[in-house]
Parts: sequence; C-alpha cells; structure tokens
Amino acid sequence: MGALEGKVALITGSGRGIGRGMALLFAKEGARVVVNDPGVNVDGSGGDAGPAQQVVDEIKKAGGEATANTESVATAAGGEAMVKQAVDTYGRIDIVVNTAGILRDRMIFNMSQQEWDDVIAVHLKGHYNTIKPASVLMRQQRYGRIINFSSTSGTLGNTGQANYGAAKAGIAGLTRVIARDLGRYGVTCNGILPGASTRMTQTVPDSARQLRQAAGVQGAASAAPVQQSAYAGLREPEYVAPMVAYLASDEAWDLNGWLFNVSGGAISVAHHPTPMRTVFKPGLWELDELDDAVHNVLLRGLDNPAPPRDDVEVAGRDVPAKPLA
Amino acid sequence: MATPLEGRTVLITGSGRGIGREVALLAGRLGANVIVNDPGVNVDGTGGDQGPAADVAREIVGAGGIASANFDSVASAEGGENMIKQAIDAYGRIDGVVHVAGILRDRMIFNMSEQEWDDVVAVHLTGFFNVVKPASVLMRQQRFGRIVGFSSASGLVGNTGQANYGAAKAGIAGMARCVARDLGRYGVTANAIGPGAATRMTQTVPDAARQMRSRAGVQGAGGPATPESIVNRLREPRYVAPMVCYLLSDQAWDVNGKVFNVAGGVVSVSWDETPDRTIAKAGMWELDELQALVPQMMAGLRNPAPPPPDLDLPGRPVTQEATA
Repeated sequence: MGALEGKVALITGSGRGIGRGMALLFAKEGARVVVNDPGVNVDGSGGDAGPAQQVVDEIKKAGGEATANTESVATAAGGEAMVKQAVDTYGRIDIVVNTAGILRDRMIFNMSQQEWDDVIAVHLKGHYNTIKPASVLMRQQRYGRIINFSSTSGTLGNTGQANYGAAKAGIAGLTRVIARDLGRYGVTCNGILPGASTRMTQTVPDSARQLRQAAGVQGAASAAPVQQSAYAGLREPEYVAPMVAYLASDEAWDLNGWLFNVSGGAISVAHHPTPMRTVFKPGLWELDELDDAVHNVLLRGLDNPAPPRDDVEVAGRDVPAKPLA
Repeated sequence: MATPLEGRTVLITGSGRGIGREVALLAGRLGANVIVNDPGVNVDGTGGDQGPAADVAREIVGAGGIASANFDSVASAEGGENMIKQAIDAYGRIDGVVHVAGILRDRMIFNMSEQEWDDVVAVHLTGFFNVVKPASVLMRQQRFGRIVGFSSASGLVGNTGQANYGAAKAGIAGMARCVARDLGRYGVTANAIGPGAATRMTQTVPDAARQMRSRAGVQGAGGPATPESIVNRLREPRYVAPMVCYLLSDQAWDVNGKVFNVAGGVVSVSWDETPDRTIAKAGMWELDELQALVPQMMAGLRNPAPPPPDLDLPGRPVTQEATA
C-alpha cells in the first residue's frame, strides 16, 4: 500500500518541472491528484491546457487517479476552484502543495510596478489563495498537509529578484504562521527550498552568474553546489519529490513549521532566522558604541554579500577609493 | 551632540507615532533632514489624521532640527514616489529610506478575508517596494544610500493569527536581502530590523490571545513580558532608534543584507536561513528511508503547535495516556 493511499492532493504548477515530479510520485503512492497548471510561460504570459493534461494522462496510464485543472493561482476564485474540484471529484482535500510560480527578474532600480505585482500575486498571494479555502476544510476534518515552495532567493538573497525574493521569503514567513494557526487541528505546514534544473532556472543566463561572481556578489542560484556536492549535483527535479511526499504522509504528523532545503539527494532543515549573536546594554546605545559592537561582535567574520566596487568613493570607508584600471 | 547624519536626507514612513517617531526624532537630533511620513490612520488602516506627522516634524524643528511632514499612503506607488519627490524638492536629495509604516488585521487563516490579506501585504510589503524603487534609482546614481526595512518576529519566527502580517514581514527581510545584492556595489546598503517595543500596535494583541496561545502550547512571538523584567522596562520604542540611525550613518557602509533584532538594549544579528542539519544520499530517496532518517535529523526540534493529545491522528503512535 502506498504512503498516500486514500489521500486527495492538489499540486499547483504541476504541469512541468518540480510540480510534475511530485504529481507523478504522489499518484504512485496512491494519492488522487488535482494537477493544476495553466501552462503559462515562465514570465506568466500565454496559457496551454496541454502540460496539466499530459501529466494526468501519464498518471492514468500508470494506473493512478488524477484530474487536470488549468486555473490561475493568482486569483482567489482560481484557488477556490481548485479546492472545489478536489472536493467535487474526490470528496475531500488532504494535501495542498503550492509549487506554481513565475519570474520577472529585474534589478530593483529598473523593476516596474507590474513586474512587482505579477510576481507577488502568483507566488505569495497564490499561496494564500489555495491555503485559505483548504484550511477551512482541513480544520473541520482535523487533518491536513500543506507544503509551500520558498526559495533561497528570498531566505538568503539574490540579485535581480527583489519581487521573487520578497515573495519567496514571505512564503517562508507564511509557512511559519500557518503551522501555528493549524497545528492544533492536526494540520501541518512546511516549506521547501528547492534546488533543481528546470525551465525556470534556465532563464537565468550564465552571463548573469558570471557577472555576479566577477562583482563579488553572492547569489543564491550559483552553480557552486554542483561542484561541491555529488549529492546536490543531482539536478533533476524528480529528486525533490520524495521529501515532499514524506511530508504529505501520515508519518510526518509532527513535522510542522520547518523549511527544508531539498536538492538532489541532499535534504537539510534550515536555520530559523532567530538571533545568532547578541549584544546588550541596559540603556540607550550611542552610535559609536554600536559601530564597535556591530563590527567586532555581531558581524565578525560575516561577509558583505555585495561590497561597494573599488572605484566607488564610499563615505566611511577608510581606504581611499581606487581608480578603475 | 555629534551630528553624524548632517547633510543627509532621510524618509521615515510611519513616523507619526511609535518606533517611527523615535527614529525620526533621533535622526533629526543627529543632523538629518527628515521627511516625517504618516497618514495618521488607525492600526487597522482606517481613518486618517495629519496631526501625528505634523507634530513630529514640528517637534524636530522646535529642537533645532530640519524636518517636513508628508501624509501620503505608502500602499500606492504614487504615494511612495511623492515621498521621494518631497525629499528632493525640499532638501535636494534622498540618502536614507526607513520603512516603518504598517497596519494590522489579525485573523486565523481559516477566517482571514481576501481584503484582510491584501490590505496588510499592500502597506507592508508592496509599501516597501513603493518607496525603495524610486529611491534606488537616485541612490544608484549618487553612489550612496541606506535602506532599512522593518521586518518582524511574526514572520521570521512565526505567530498565530498573522498569516498576512507574518508573510509581509518575512517578505520585507527577503526583499532587503535581494536589494542589498542589487545595490551594494553602488555604495548603497539595505538591511532589516525585527523590532521589539510596546507601541499602539502591540496593544491590539489582547492578553486573552497571549494566554490562549500559551495554554495551547503554541509558541508565539510577542509573548508576555513580565512587568518586573529589565527587558520590559526597556520596551519603550525609543530604544530601537539608535540601531536604525547607526545603519543610516556613514560608519555602517559595510553593513549590508543583514537582519537585526532590536528591542530595548538588545541588538542581535539573525541567522541566515542556511542549512542547519543535513542528510544526503547519492541517489533518489525512498519514503521508508526518509521515515527512518528525517526524525533523526529533526531530533530535539520542537513542533511549535503540536496537535492535542486527544486528537485521533493517523500516523501518531498510540501512547498509554491517549488510550487511558
């Protein structure tokens, strides 16, 4: 018997990439799956019912149960329709996996309101749009699994992704709150920080990675893990699926409110952004005291992720600015 | 008094009251030209009153400082642009942006309306974008700038009834980390503060809610601070201001992309959300392998809101207490 036998799962953005890998594994483990994907391009434009239907066909061919949904997660109506389809088709909703996402990368000083709004709508509000209606039912049935997709672009930071990073870090925060809202009702909520080569990561040009590296800017989507770790070097999106399926299973009843890095065969639980180093004064700090405490205690050994270029004259920097070669 | 912010122009959103007000007053004392922004709304975002921002600007000027009031809402792109424009028109430049403005619409997720979600995300998270975007264009050109976002333990750690607020606040930390990387090379820094202080906003959390959380074993941020504790005596919002003004100063040129917790006399730098404990396999995991190994990886880490013992829960081993 599969680990998800009898469960009904909604997986957003499961027409391709990581979402697809999870839909296939969930079905193999016995879940009935609502395969949601409007089949848009990475930037959110277009639309194609093909990808979701193809995954459904693949699941059915292997003897599983699935139904396709092509709503957009960016609207409350879309999220409600997905949960409704699960209930109408299979009588319940046990698992919601929020994978759907788009990219509109741009440096902050060039980012348009539209680029900000669209990315926040699909990722962050998209999570609210499915979780809200599902949470009502999960609370009533005293059972549920919610698995969200965050990203190191937000939890660590990345250039050109103020919209995406804000949304993804917001999803991490949302995950921690939902875990506390619903834990007592037998519902868990966790987040995944995935690593995989998909259509989405292909949009990050190699030239951008090289530019970041040359500028000394630490990026989240660096190619470093591939060289560093044979485990994380397995970049196929299917490798993300087992941990998510485990979190969706009954056995994971007590795992709640965590973020897991999942990339290839490597699985980590991430630090919460709780205090790491602390200074205390029983009174008001002076700025000079803070300068000392910040540099010599709090940030000792920690890098500036994007130091000012050598040719920038920086007020406060002791060394004189060097002219460009 | 030394004036390390002399000649700098800083915008402080939500500075008519609470923490923002203290940051504005200190920045004014430290020599900055201050745009005191506050539409003077209620904690839930309703209403409007030009009094608070005007009073703070007047107080700064009365103490010999330089300030002007702004009453725009940070929730719209035009509002954010107006604030930056006012800085340029009044003082010729913009050097610092501190986004303190915020509202609350607490509700458990299963009862939270779309409006409650949208309004909170608009003020906090999109509000941060609305001021940072236009400021970043100028900061990049002038090769100097300081951006400080206000995050919260509600998002960084998690708190019940605040899915909207926690998501927005964690998002602000994420945006600060990204903007730090976009702008660092241009002499601009971006950081975030997770503040702790007793203000009008925290008064909206009823004691009953704190007690309920505590009884249910739910770990929450913003828990009770006993009146006797030294930390509680240091709960005045003015204790948050020095660290914010330090981040605005030239001295902090290399402090970038970090999240600081500031409450009373306590200043902490937060962990980055890097991997803490890891299991690895050179291949595809099987579910029964994860069933065996994940609990080991998670040993000692507590479920922040465990299900009650009397709840019939598939997967949970049946204990003697539950069957008794």
